[in-house]
Amino acid sequence: MGRFFAGLRDGVGFDILLVTVAMIFLVAMAGLPLIYNVLMSFQQVDMFTLGSFIRPFAGIQNYIDVVRAPEFWLVTRNTVIFVFFSMAGQFVLGFALALFFAQNFPGASTIRGLFLVSWVMPGLVVGAIWSWILAGDFGVLNTILRNLGIIQSTVFWKSDPAFSIWAVVIANIWLGLAFNMLLLSVGLAAIPRDLYEAAELDGANAFQRFWTITLPMMRSTIGAVLSLGLIGTLQQFDLFPAITEGGPANTSTVAQYWSWQMSFQLYDFAKGATISVMMLVLVLFASIIYVRSTRHEVRG
Amino acid sequence: MKLHLAALMAAASIGAMTLASPAFAQVTLKIWSIDGVDRVGIADTFSKEFDEANDDIVVEYRAVPFDDLVQETLRAFATGNAPDIVSFDNPDFALFSSRGAMLDITDRVANSSVIKEANYFEGPLNSVKWDGKLFGIPKYTDTIGVFYNKDLFAKAGITEPPKTWAQLAEYAEKLTDPANNVYGVTFSARAGEEGTFQFLPIIQMSGGGYDKVNTEGAAQVLDLWKGLIDKGYASRDVLSLGQWDSTGVFNSGNAAMAISGPWEVDRMSEDAKFDWGVALLPTITEGGERSSALGGFDWGIMSTTQHPDEAFRALEYFAAQDNRIFEEFGSIPARSDIDLPVTGNEKKDAALKVFLDQLQYAQPRGPHPEWQKISKAIYDAEQAALTGQMSSMDALNQAQATIDGILGK
Repeated sequence: MGRFFAGLRDGVGFDILLVTVAMIFLVAMAGLPLIYNVLMSFQQVDMFTLGSFIRPFAGIQNYIDVVRAPEFWLVTRNTVIFVFFSMAGQFVLGFALALFFAQNFPGASTIRGLFLVSWVMPGLVVGAIWSWILAGDFGVLNTILRNLGIIQSTVFWKSDPAFSIWAVVIANIWLGLAFNMLLLSVGLAAIPRDLYEAAELDGANAFQRFWTITLPMMRSTIGAVLSLGLIGTLQQFDLFPAITEGGPANTSTVAQYWSWQMSFQLYDFAKGATISVMMLVLVLFASIIYVRSTRHEVRG
Repeated sequence: MKLHLAALMAAASIGAMTLASPAFAQVTLKIWSIDGVDRVGIADTFSKEFDEANDDIVVEYRAVPFDDLVQETLRAFATGNAPDIVSFDNPDFALFSSRGAMLDITDRVANSSVIKEANYFEGPLNSVKWDGKLFGIPKYTDTIGVFYNKDLFAKAGITEPPKTWAQLAEYAEKLTDPANNVYGVTFSARAGEEGTFQFLPIIQMSGGGYDKVNTEGAAQVLDLWKGLIDKGYASRDVLSLGQWDSTGVFNSGNAAMAISGPWEVDRMSEDAKFDWGVALLPTITEGGERSSALGGFDWGIMSTTQHPDEAFRALEYFAAQDNRIFEEFGSIPARSDIDLPVTGNEKKDAALKVFLDQLQYAQPRGPHPEWQKISKAIYDAEQAALTGQMSSMDALNQAQATIDGILGK
């Protein structure tokens, strides 16, 4: 018995204990819900069988139904637009701001800190604010654009199928911008100054320095920012109910919002689970690409 | 283990005590509704009164937010913790009654001296019926009509409110005044229950129903509405505004007509700085079939209740208070045997009269256990047509195919 406890305190026993605790936590908090979700996507889930575990097996019928739904391709298109342009906007603008604040002018770090305000705010609040800004007849943005003479008639950001998904993209870029900037700033700060000095002595111009020093040195940071960006964008939910509610005519419905609608507005929990499983496969695929692409790199 | 035993013994002795003293036996009724979440309403007020008036009954009232009520009740029912009495929005009621989650009260109502089936309006009563049996009673009702700004009408030289949808479109054109930020008409075609609430009556007027949505008449009216939006006689934001916000545009004088219901009257009396009136919802052809939306909540007893007699007594008490609900809460009782009091506010009284008239034509949504999916098919079609993604008829045909799938045709 004494040896058992001694083993727990150090050596292999302690290692096993730590691993077990971590695994129990992981399985209970993430693994089981995930498995339950996958299970549900293969079952016929009825509102009144929500509490039970064993339900009629549905095969891949839920998947067939989801793909055959009239809005499936529209939602896919919206999700691609939303994810790609949100990430691109957040990353490009975030990188530009990070480079800007890396110039070390007076007050640079303080102002950079203030930018974090957007990231600290809850999504629903951000959504409500953008909902007012983007409102049609009495919106802030429309008033500004009209006074500047850029537009003549009202642009219905939230109600025009041509703009609705972009309204949410704009709000999401604003929301995620600061977080991207912060991570990229940390990456920038970690690049040794003398590299730039040496390059400058060798006559490299600003663009060459960026292309041959900054970007390669930032590779792992950029990889992390992009993968976090993908996860964050696919998780973004609050903005949708606050700004467009997926409308008009589903032109701003993305997969995560659709999944929520299925489960909690139409009470079709199986299809809600099915959509989230399909999203999970997509994210897994993306992370495999990310891991493979960064595998051979030397992390500095 | 010891603790466990102690708890068991305590529970047993409490149980024994209650069994031994039936004189003090109290029945606990759990009542759930959305009233009392943001303001005092019918259910919380009457539950409290019923609790105080009956020494043998304790009422545990719980206010559940509107968006959570159905889910919360489903979960409670699945885990055996369902409330005894619950109040649902009328299209949600069939979800529960069709699956045996509500108590059949047909016989109890037949023997009741307080609740009489014949006193209720037909539409609200249909929403609590399933398979010919009665599973609840209507709590209150409402419907929609057309509010119109009499000052703007006079300015445009129009004397009467529109009788047909074509006339409404024609008037909207005349009333639109972009220089003063005035739209001809506003309504709600939002992607949600409110969209269906305002559009289903059109389908019903054209001879269809929730099970037959692809009618010529409905497509015609959709084309008219699309024209209103495209030509700027109605704001494109009707696609995202709910009824409350949409009518706000009318109240501020920025729309000459608004489609909405009696719940707007109190706010309008305060906010609107102009003369206004209410008219019945237009028809498709002059003198054609009338219809309107049926709103409002229902009361029901859940089938899992241990105290059906006491729960029914509570329903009887609630029903007996129906003559108070208009004065105290601004809700219209779903009954034909109650005369509503005159408030003295001329516009309000006139509006109420029109809405009572309109209620005779109000038809329920469903009832169907999968109403939410049917509703989505309908508002999706409406939005697809109004945004020009599909022609009106194609959009309605697609909705019909979806609905046929749900109904198993």
